[in-house]
Amino acid sequence: MDADTKKIKHRHVELAQKILDVVTEKGMSRGEHLPEQALASRCNVSRTPIRKALQILADRLIVTAEPEGGYLLAIDPASFPGLEDEQQPAEETELYNAILRDLSAGRIGDSQTVASLQRRYDASRSAVQNALIKLSEDNLAERAPGQQWLIKQFAISGDAVAKSIEYRLACEPLALTLPGFRRDASAITSLRHSMDILRGMTETGFDQKLFERTDFDFHMLIARSCGNPFMSEALVSHHRRRRSSQPPVHVNAFRLMQSNTEHMQILEQIERGQMDLASDLMRVHIQLSHSQRPRLAGRGVPPVFRVVG
Amino acid sequence: MTQPKVIALFPEASYGAALNCVGIAQQLRSLGARPVFICHPGFRGVFAEYGFPEYPLPTLGSEGQTDWTDFINRHQDAFRQTPLEQIKSYIGPTWDAIVDTAIAAEEPLRQLLAQLKPAAIVLDNVVMFPAIANAGVPWVRIISCAETELPDAAVPPYLSGCRGEPGPDWMLFAEKYQKAVAPAHRRMNAFLAECGLKARPSGEFLESSPFLNLLLSPDAVRFEREKPLDPATHVYLNGCVRQEAPYPLPAFATHRDAALILVSFGSLGAMDVSMIKRMIGVFEDMPYRFIVNVGPWRDDYARVPDNVFLESWFPQPSVVEQASLFIHHGGNNSFCEALYYGVPSLIMPYCWDGHDNARRAQDVGVGQRIDRYEWTDAVLKTAVASLLDDAVMRQRLRDNAKLMKQSHGVAVAAKAIVDLL
Repeated sequence: MDADTKKIKHRHVELAQKILDVVTEKGMSRGEHLPEQALASRCNVSRTPIRKALQILADRLIVTAEPEGGYLLAIDPASFPGLEDEQQPAEETELYNAILRDLSAGRIGDSQTVASLQRRYDASRSAVQNALIKLSEDNLAERAPGQQWLIKQFAISGDAVAKSIEYRLACEPLALTLPGFRRDASAITSLRHSMDILRGMTETGFDQKLFERTDFDFHMLIARSCGNPFMSEALVSHHRRRRSSQPPVHVNAFRLMQSNTEHMQILEQIERGQMDLASDLMRVHIQLSHSQRPRLAGRGVPPVFRVVG
Repeated sequence: MTQPKVIALFPEASYGAALNCVGIAQQLRSLGARPVFICHPGFRGVFAEYGFPEYPLPTLGSEGQTDWTDFINRHQDAFRQTPLEQIKSYIGPTWDAIVDTAIAAEEPLRQLLAQLKPAAIVLDNVVMFPAIANAGVPWVRIISCAETELPDAAVPPYLSGCRGEPGPDWMLFAEKYQKAVAPAHRRMNAFLAECGLKARPSGEFLESSPFLNLLLSPDAVRFEREKPLDPATHVYLNGCVRQEAPYPLPAFATHRDAALILVSFGSLGAMDVSMIKRMIGVFEDMPYRFIVNVGPWRDDYARVPDNVFLESWFPQPSVVEQASLFIHHGGNNSFCEALYYGVPSLIMPYCWDGHDNARRAQDVGVGQRIDRYEWTDAVLKTAVASLLDDAVMRQRLRDNAKLMKQSHGVAVAAKAIVDLL
């Protein structure tokens, strides 16, 4: 498969995921008809790519073709963790990951040009440009004066997770108390459905991927619903960036189950209109999600240190 | 409806003991008990993350806080010495600190136990806490250090790193050790007497429990004792590994299909950034992938080779399971995890029972030992390659791992504890 074909397939997989996001948000169930035109309008594309994306979903038995044309939903979208992109990652996606990985390991600096990255990765100019544009869309890189690009090292540094928690503690509880906050009832219902499914799972069989999807959708819902476009933009951008750049935190299943319960409690207070309570619960949830382990531990190691200088 | 029985677990302030207890507590929970953790203040949050209630003891001695830089410098110097030299520079002062902790913890621990009213107490430590012996409920001792912690005429002296056969080196170490720890031992015995407990023999700070003692000592490394331990009160655990989150391997810039080597010296061992940098410099030319635990010092590593990935915290068992070789410090938890997953160990010890496990690994053919500092690039490369190429050792480890997994150590431990209630 040549690079262009891979890239097109990759775009279709992305669109297929978008279709799943739409049907999840609308709270659709197994067996419901998927209207092509409505999907095309929601996804801002024509019907042709929608058909290709639906074909990908049909190949993976997520939808089934109707004899007289069109497709039916063959799964319960609330329990579906998300599509795996089985296509080889497009060159730009590989480059995207390699740039972040190498910056994090100190193998490249944070200031780069297209030419310098071409040399490092032996890649075409367009592939490097596309990777940089994707980094820029995720708020991980920005154009600097001249030919330079500045990759945001702080977003992937050793203390990025701690700083992100600090930022979220300041903003997310506040977002819940803004006067313009609007409840999106259908999105809440659909999220609750996924969370209920997670709640029914045991520690050993816990679906981490489904949790990751609901976790992202939950925090994005708060960001989008807050009613203040500036706050909304900042939080949406932050959640997207942390999903694409932060290293995994390696949390065990018990904590994820607990986190799912906390999400449900916050949603419940939002539905009841108890926004101050929802805000307090969000503060607790974010603090509990920040694991603080001892830096140094061992026999005879004192529990408290004084740092001089 | 009957309330679940509370079992209070009190591991010492080290990751090895703490995480070993987590494995047993997970199993206790599945048997319907209510495990709770009593922990040192710095460990707040570690057990809650696994879903266990935790009760930190108040910060002890905070008025005399230790200087961070001074602590690191002192320890780094001591870690370069032989076990015999460390008796004076490290073991003696560490026992002093341990006895201080036990004395300071006594009153808050007594109050906490009165509040928790546990049906049993599980102590994973190297020193006695009289409040536990006096609590009026069965208590369990976990020996999660090397088996050498329980003395016997046929077992090398604890912390000596001596070979399995008795010799003048055993005697020399034992004499020097007894002398160095004597002041701490005297203070401990005086403290025990104040609390109404019997004095311990010279060099011993913790008695065996009259109820149950659990030894984290797999069959493959066990010693033949002159005086076997009483099987009614002593249970050997052939592997005791906790349930952890999966660890998806990171994408490496090169060598994507090469053997994976995990390097972790625990949080204390990660302090020596320059030593680990020197190792990484050697790894750069080797045809393998390396995951290196650098603890909280990640930002001190300016440039990392393509085949090396730095980590600060990760679910270690899930990485060991995927590794072909584990380079570690000989901490008993790391050593047992390597055995549990059939992975050879290259041990570079720097303190405590790491010396004993390093020697034992070499003696019984489950790994190799090299000095943490006295190695050349060629020595390190040869050790790694020879362990990866040793098919006989790998088969031995695979067979042993199978037995360890079948023996379900955490389940055996949890059942033995529940049977006491």
